[in-house]
Amino acid sequence: MPRPGFVLDVDRSTPPTLFWHGEQFRTERLPTGSRIIYPPEPLAALEDIDGAIRHALLNPLGDSQPLPSLLTSGMKLTICFDDISLPLPPMQRPDIRQRVIEAVLDMAADAGVDDVVLIAALALHRRMTEPELRHALGDRVYDSFAPSGRLTQLDAEDPEQMLHLGTTDQGEDVEISKRAATSDLIVYVNINLVAMDGGHKSVATGLASYRSLKHHHNVRTLQHSRSLMDQKRSELHTSNWRMGRHIAAQGIKIFQIETTMNTNTFPDQFSFLMKREWEWTARDRMSYMAVSRSLDRTPSRLRTTIFQGIKSPHQMTSVQAGEVEAVHEVTTANVHRQQLVEVEGQTDILTMGLPYICPYNVNSVMNPILVACLGLGYFFNLYRNKPLVREGGVLIMHHPTPRAFHPVHHPSYIDFFDQVLAQTTDPLEIEAKFETSFATDPWYIHLYRTSHAYHGVHPFYMWYWCAHALQHLGMVIIVGGDPKSVRRLGFKPASTLSDALEMASDVVGPSPTLTHLHAPPLLIADVK
Amino acid sequence: MRLRPRARFPLGAPTWPTGVPRPPVVRDTGVNYDTAWARKYPARLARALWLDGVTRPLIKGLAAPDIDGLDRLDALPAPVIFAANHSSHVDTPLVLTSLPERFRHRTAVAAGADYFFDKRWKGGLWALSINAIPIERTRVSPQSTKLAVSLIQDGWSLVIFPEGGRSPDGWGQSHRAGAAYLAVRTGAPVVPVHLHGTRRILKKGGKGVRPSHTEVTFGRPLRAAEGESAADLAVRIERSIAVLADERSEGFWDARRNAAAGATPALTGPGPTGWRRAWALEENRRRQGTSKPWPPRSAARD
Amino acid sequence: MKALVYERSIPKFAAARVASALGGAGSRVGPLHLTDVDEPALPGPGWHRVRPRLAGICGSDLATVDAKSSRWFEGVVSFPFVPGHEVVGDLDDGTRVVLEPVLACAARGIDPPCDACAAGDNGNCERISFGCLEPGLQTGYCADTGGGWSHALVAHDSQLHTVPDAMSDEAAVMVEPAACATHAVQSSAIPEGAVVAVLGAGTLGLCSIAALRRLALPGTVIAGAKHDVQRRLAADLGADVVVAPGEMARAVRRQTRSLSVDGRLTGGADVVVDCVGSADSLEQALAVVRPKGTIVLVGMPGSVRVDLTPLWQREIRLVGSYAYRHTTFATAFELVAESRLERLVSALYPLERWREALDHAAASGRRGAVKIAFDLRSTKKRSAKP
Repeated sequence: MPRPGFVLDVDRSTPPTLFWHGEQFRTERLPTGSRIIYPPEPLAALEDIDGAIRHALLNPLGDSQPLPSLLTSGMKLTICFDDISLPLPPMQRPDIRQRVIEAVLDMAADAGVDDVVLIAALALHRRMTEPELRHALGDRVYDSFAPSGRLTQLDAEDPEQMLHLGTTDQGEDVEISKRAATSDLIVYVNINLVAMDGGHKSVATGLASYRSLKHHHNVRTLQHSRSLMDQKRSELHTSNWRMGRHIAAQGIKIFQIETTMNTNTFPDQFSFLMKREWEWTARDRMSYMAVSRSLDRTPSRLRTTIFQGIKSPHQMTSVQAGEVEAVHEVTTANVHRQQLVEVEGQTDILTMGLPYICPYNVNSVMNPILVACLGLGYFFNLYRNKPLVREGGVLIMHHPTPRAFHPVHHPSYIDFFDQVLAQTTDPLEIEAKFETSFATDPWYIHLYRTSHAYHGVHPFYMWYWCAHALQHLGMVIIVGGDPKSVRRLGFKPASTLSDALEMASDVVGPSPTLTHLHAPPLLIADVK
Repeated sequence: MRLRPRARFPLGAPTWPTGVPRPPVVRDTGVNYDTAWARKYPARLARALWLDGVTRPLIKGLAAPDIDGLDRLDALPAPVIFAANHSSHVDTPLVLTSLPERFRHRTAVAAGADYFFDKRWKGGLWALSINAIPIERTRVSPQSTKLAVSLIQDGWSLVIFPEGGRSPDGWGQSHRAGAAYLAVRTGAPVVPVHLHGTRRILKKGGKGVRPSHTEVTFGRPLRAAEGESAADLAVRIERSIAVLADERSEGFWDARRNAAAGATPALTGPGPTGWRRAWALEENRRRQGTSKPWPPRSAARD
Repeated sequence: MKALVYERSIPKFAAARVASALGGAGSRVGPLHLTDVDEPALPGPGWHRVRPRLAGICGSDLATVDAKSSRWFEGVVSFPFVPGHEVVGDLDDGTRVVLEPVLACAARGIDPPCDACAAGDNGNCERISFGCLEPGLQTGYCADTGGGWSHALVAHDSQLHTVPDAMSDEAAVMVEPAACATHAVQSSAIPEGAVVAVLGAGTLGLCSIAALRRLALPGTVIAGAKHDVQRRLAADLGADVVVAPGEMARAVRRQTRSLSVDGRLTGGADVVVDCVGSADSLEQALAVVRPKGTIVLVGMPGSVRVDLTPLWQREIRLVGSYAYRHTTFATAFELVAESRLERLVSALYPLERWREALDHAAASGRRGAVKIAFDLRSTKKRSAKP
């Protein structure tokens, strides 16, 4: 029976605490009286995954018919799936998407459906490479659909591929993939790694264009998404739900399939990452020391290769299918079952160690903007009710934050870092002054469409993701970060945790409360 | 108090936060040590080579055993429980090497879990070298019983010392019911074995090994009678070992007569404690000639 | 009179070249040395004695000291000379003046003047080796006039511009470089709304940014600046985007929304002002200028190796910009005052510490400085300004 997450009160006999530090690790002794939030232990995976998928497709939730009765010969079927940004880290083969899509295709074949197209729901993310598609879909699916051009990736900048479906009652443009919108049925295959994923966001965001996305991917919306992980209090989700209902009102039929994962995040050689420090066995300690010492001596390129090579053993804990909202409710409960940890009250200082990966640097480089987004956009938002840190509090993150970019994947990030952040870090000012010129830059559009680049506007979204945290926090400190990059982000660099605590005391007073978020594996803090 | 400063985490072991309750420790040593690997073919082969190639010649040189009563085992099918008196570490190899070929390489030894299996490396050493299995000495533990029963049912014979440990003073200790219980549970016959003289080679707490003459006597197999309790059988086993001892010193016929008259000398010796127990020990009676001068030389110089 | 004198000495010249090539300072072994010389005689009527107050150290001076300047100047320089052409000084009657160093027809007593001088274009005078003076394109390269790195020089009426009382010496010493920048901007006809890239953010680069903002109507000014001080000043003087030199191509691409093939822009900046003048900066200028665009060469290049294929294929105009017209100075005075260019003067040294001064000037950007100048007021009464 996996143990639930829990909050440790640090006392003198608490051993040093593990901090992620990008592609390295550190141990820090936290001050007595601090709290450490440990994630729940991984739930058991489903034993018969393929059986569970079949069961879900045959017994849908909400007012949906079982999938086989929705499939008729001569129909137009579009299967959309989450892109490379999920799950994190990429899972060991076979990927969930492969299992689900194969099950859907089996039923489509039985029903005699000929017109089937697969679309990677990229929105403005980078296109996936062939090996990445093969990993996600499996060779059987890839080889059957890719050569005939029936495996496609969304190109939101091709006016031919997009269809404007009018506006919601709030005047938000809804523009999604034309192929999907004109299909008799859209089957959307989700991997719901965190509570933010899925629901109406799948189609309304995953298949949408810049014109549509800018109605919810903006500073105002994200400052009112408290948090992103809590659909009911997230303006981002509210907007997506309006769009989703608008899409449904246009008569577009969506069969939503959502899957949840356990937090068995790291393979055996990194098992110490998923244990509480005082339970580390001699083997854990030896492997921690061997891993961390050798990583410290490894050139950073090789380190990136090693970490990006990690395939996670996490596995499916639930699968549900049917009508979007009914499905998403069950999914959210299942995500909470794995990730929710109750925490009593807010804290003055929140510390966290940032890992080597976020949704936008799979097989890529974690650049400073992504560091900010992972810390302030994602980890800060891993809460329900109230943020873990009080308003005006301090966030201390650990990450080396080198000024390193992937030239192919993140071209607009480089310019955003050098030309936008050099002038201002205020999200509202950035949005007003720079967004349009980046979003419409023909070169970024060209690279997004033909190469493997994130869209020109994507770094802006990363920064907007931080907007709620930036507004909420009194100070952000990155321990061990490259001072130049950290200052460019508008944060404060510190070389050690004690320096950082010293700096923080200017903001939160001399004897602050401190809470450490011991993630990943992921958790959601339910702050009372 | 710790003299050496403890290595710091993560090199050293982590401390346990006071606020967190410790879960019961499930250890993989002691009774929980898993010896299954030592009964796999490679381990058996290694052990057989070691037993025949090294231990047997060594025991022959060291203990010069005079083995008697093997004929009583002739018609006996495996598995068998060998129950022997116990006064020295030499007992186990002595019994094992004295067994007829057909038992020798398919016999496990019940060894005290607390003594032989408290560290993983020790457990590994004993499991490999003598096919030891961990047995709780002081109580009948379900885990060790289960293991022993399943081994016997698999056709493995078992060497067991019902006294539960080596004799502290040279006299026998009263028997525990373990061997009898297994015999009742499995229906396997119990062969009483009497060992004599091993204490002279190496006694409990003794230092150094002295070659000496030993005697090994196998008795007639005992079977649990219909409805017989383990306690009753244990008494029978104890008594038949005592008869074997008597047989060695007085001869078969006198021993039989003593047994019939209920006059077999008990192996546990006279009285509860006191000097008479030590006085009555055969080995102390023989020591006169070799005793050291008094006072010790070093003390005299002072 | 104490003066820094540059002599013709082949061995010292060679030594300076070697030393500077090896990364050392050419000034330690080169032909420049501090010595006692006679004050220069007045060559004739209309000439005045100028006692320098401040004399700037210019990039071209450093090239001369390190013996790196082009052999092109051989015919238009006369030895021994006292360097220093960015000069603010006092006339004997106490008038504060800024020197316009070009020694054109008027100063050389040539009448009628050459066509260029007749048109007021002193900088392009065709007679700089002729007339009553030894050859020398400017004061500071001529054996007869003396130069700014001393306590006295001589200057002709046509070379003098009176400094307004309100202007500090530090501001006044910036007038000559500001005039160069002014000339570069005025003569290259920057189209309104143009994207202009300025390479280099030393004295000339920063003055050019200021001049672009005040004398032309560019749409976007992108400055490439290596050092923090330079970046701050560049942004302050009116650059819209300030980037590290290596980021220039990316910044120009984004501002002009150009595409890029193999890292080469398909479009580019309308005008590139190259204030460095090295092979690297020229190469970069050629890489970031648009087809049919203009590169204005303000920094002194010397002998460089550059692939001119883009110049040919994209019909790029490469334009030099040297010195100024006589009337440029009036504009330059205004520019200095409006843009408060005196803040570019980072450090003043007495003549005796000339080696330190030259080292500081050579490493100015790295050491957080822009303009280094000699302070020659010490032997007289110091001006009110510190």
